[in-house]
Amino acid sequence: MNGIHDCGGRHGYGPIDIDREQPIFHADWERRMFGMFILAFGGGHFNIDQFRSTIEQMRPAEYLESTYYEHWLHALETLCVENGTLTRKELDDRLAALSKGTH
Amino acid sequence: MPTLFPTDALDGLIRTGGSCRVNVNVEPGFAPGDKVMAININPRTHTRLPTYVRGKRGIVMRDHGAFIFPDTNAQLKGEKPQHVYSVMFEAGELWGDAEFPGDKVLIDMFEDYLRPTNGK
Repeated sequence: MNGIHDCGGRHGYGPIDIDREQPIFHADWERRMFGMFILAFGGGHFNIDQFRSTIEQMRPAEYLESTYYEHWLHALETLCVENGTLTRKELDDRLAALSKGTH
Repeated sequence: MPTLFPTDALDGLIRTGGSCRVNVNVEPGFAPGDKVMAININPRTHTRLPTYVRGKRGIVMRDHGAFIFPDTNAQLKGEKPQHVYSVMFEAGELWGDAEFPGDKVLIDMFEDYLRPTNGK
C-alpha cells in the first residue's frame, strides 16, 4: 500500500529525534497497551503482518498526528472487531463508562 | 480462531519480539554478488517494498535465510516462505544527483521483490 507510513526519502519531517534516555513507556496506558498486544498476538487473534497492514490503513492525518502506541491501539481495536472478538458497541460502552467514572 | 497463549513462551516473545524466520528448506534464488532490480509494484494491500526502491538496481550482499512473506501473510493468503537478502543500492541510483553520492543504502528484501538483471 502506497500509504503515509512509507515516508522514506520524503522531505520536511525534520531530523530524526534520537533520545537514548527516553523511557520504555511514556505513560501507564502504553504499558498496558503493550501487554494487551502481546496477549492478543500470542493468542492468535491476528498475525504481525495483519497488524502492520491495519496500522497503514489509518487515515493519513490521524496516522501522522498520533503516537506509536496509539497506532497499536487502532490496530488492536480494528482487528478484534473484524474477527468478532469485540464489538464496536462493547468498545463504545466501555469508553462511555470510563469517561463517566462508573467503570 | 484464537488460541490460548503458552505462558512459558511469553518471556521470550517480549524479549525478542518474536521472529518470522521459518525452518523450512527453501532454495535461494539469489546469492551474494548477484545484480538485481527491485520490481515495480503498487498493491493496495500490504507490502514491505519501499516506494523509493522500486525499479532500482542493486547488489545482493547477504542471504539472511527464509522468512514468512508479509505481502501474502497480511491477507491470510499463505506464509509463502522465501529468502530475504540484504541488498545494497547506491545513493545515486535511488536519488539521482544525490546529496551524498558515496552513500549506500542496505535494504532487507524478500525474494519476490527482486529480479535478476544479468549484470546489465
